[in-house]
Amino acid sequence: MALAPALKPVPQAPSWNPFRCGGTALPIPLLLMVKLVALTLLLTNHVRLLPDPFLPFIPGLDLLLPPLVFQRILQTVFVASALALLFNRWVRASSLVLGLTILLAVVSSKAYYGNNKTFCGCLLFLTGLYEPKRGTLLLRWQLIVVYFGAGLNKILDADWRSGLFFENWAANRLRHGLYMQAAALLPPLALAKIMCWSTIIVELTLSPAFAIRRAWPLAIWINILFHSALLLFTGSTFTMFFYAMNASVLAFISWPQNRLLVIYDGDCGFCTRTRRFLERFDLEGTLHWTAYQSGLARRYGLTDDAARERLYLIEEGRIFAGYGAFQRMAMYNPASWISIAILVALPWDDAGIVRRVLVAGFLILFSPLFVPLGESIYSIVARNRHRLSSETACPVDRHGA
Amino acid sequence: MRLAIGVAFLAFQIAAIVYARYVPSRYFCWAPFDMQTEYWLEVTVDGRPLNGQEIRRRYRRPQHGVDNRSPQHVIDIVQQCEERYAAAERVRVRMRYTVNGKEERQWHWPPR
Repeated sequence: MALAPALKPVPQAPSWNPFRCGGTALPIPLLLMVKLVALTLLLTNHVRLLPDPFLPFIPGLDLLLPPLVFQRILQTVFVASALALLFNRWVRASSLVLGLTILLAVVSSKAYYGNNKTFCGCLLFLTGLYEPKRGTLLLRWQLIVVYFGAGLNKILDADWRSGLFFENWAANRLRHGLYMQAAALLPPLALAKIMCWSTIIVELTLSPAFAIRRAWPLAIWINILFHSALLLFTGSTFTMFFYAMNASVLAFISWPQNRLLVIYDGDCGFCTRTRRFLERFDLEGTLHWTAYQSGLARRYGLTDDAARERLYLIEEGRIFAGYGAFQRMAMYNPASWISIAILVALPWDDAGIVRRVLVAGFLILFSPLFVPLGESIYSIVARNRHRLSSETACPVDRHGA
Repeated sequence: MRLAIGVAFLAFQIAAIVYARYVPSRYFCWAPFDMQTEYWLEVTVDGRPLNGQEIRRRYRRPQHGVDNRSPQHVIDIVQQCEERYAAAERVRVRMRYTVNGKEERQWHWPPR
């Protein structure tokens, strides 16, 4: 089937709007990934942690410049490159420079060294090496190496195999009430052993899963659930780990090459208002709205009766209806993920509780498991939509934006 | 060229993962949050004991802390700090530490 001209991608120039990701030298998901890392680095005020040289891994780094000058240069370059990324300026070079700045900070101080910072540096650096013909190959292998190393280190550690690590961490360090109550119901170390081995299995499964294209969707969900579960259990983002590990899956996401067709009821005032509302947030122009009355829905095998009952989204031949269509609209909008990252990373007073609630809420909204419930809610709204608005759409609206 | 740089970068990480199997430290081998090391530092310089603030300034680590990594990382910081930056002082360090809540161990500088 030939593609309707309106569905071809809209040519774009880089925008100064930080919520936009189109029209740059990086594909949208890749720029979104490094933006999420840069944004959360800035929001968590990471710049204050950047060190002066202290017991560097590379000998002589502490002799190059006066310590304060070295630190100020790191901080200046860090902020400048992170802001350049956010505002879509020289995105590949900015990602490379920000990544190298973090990696330089890591190797210049044993006191600063940490896996989460190193991982952020790796993601940004490898994105800076992006070449269209090779796609995200290097980034995908970065994930494979990280999970291989993490799983191997754990499985070869006796305290992980016996559950002692988790018992000490959850009971003695975190004093996690729920864990201690559950553990008391089981034989000693049984729950700790389950948690340790679950972690080992997840990590050692994710490493090969990220290498097999067919396993990517499952690997993406396991990765997100694993890091979200850690946040829900502890209330902590483990400095940058939660943000960077979740953002990294964008290297495995295939973003639609063409605009998404949204078919709605053009005679319904509520639907038209919803369209106008959502169009305001569609900063990349990803959605092409058209009323089913235009007859376009029939080209995709949708009857007028079906199109009158639910909203449909057509993504490169695949059809999503109702709640699933709204999920897709949100998923393919960089502004959604940037807004979520801002909400989670903000320095809330009760950060542990707020982050747990936010992450649990977003997981539910985007989870395929929630679709049946979401569909039920959608159906109730769809059935009563004519009562929700007295407005009737004007004929111009019927043919979309 | 970019591919070669990226491959070399990843190869270094794989080498670090293998290397970590033969040494007590866990640098660049993707071992995040693998151990819980609780430690206490007692430091005297030219016979005078250092307080918590002085220890933090000297080693950029608190006098008593929990590190989510191998105890060797704290030991490396203390040892290399003394070797590199304080050769002229008479420094004695006793570090008591436990890993994952197991029995307490001690490390001394200079070595006994």
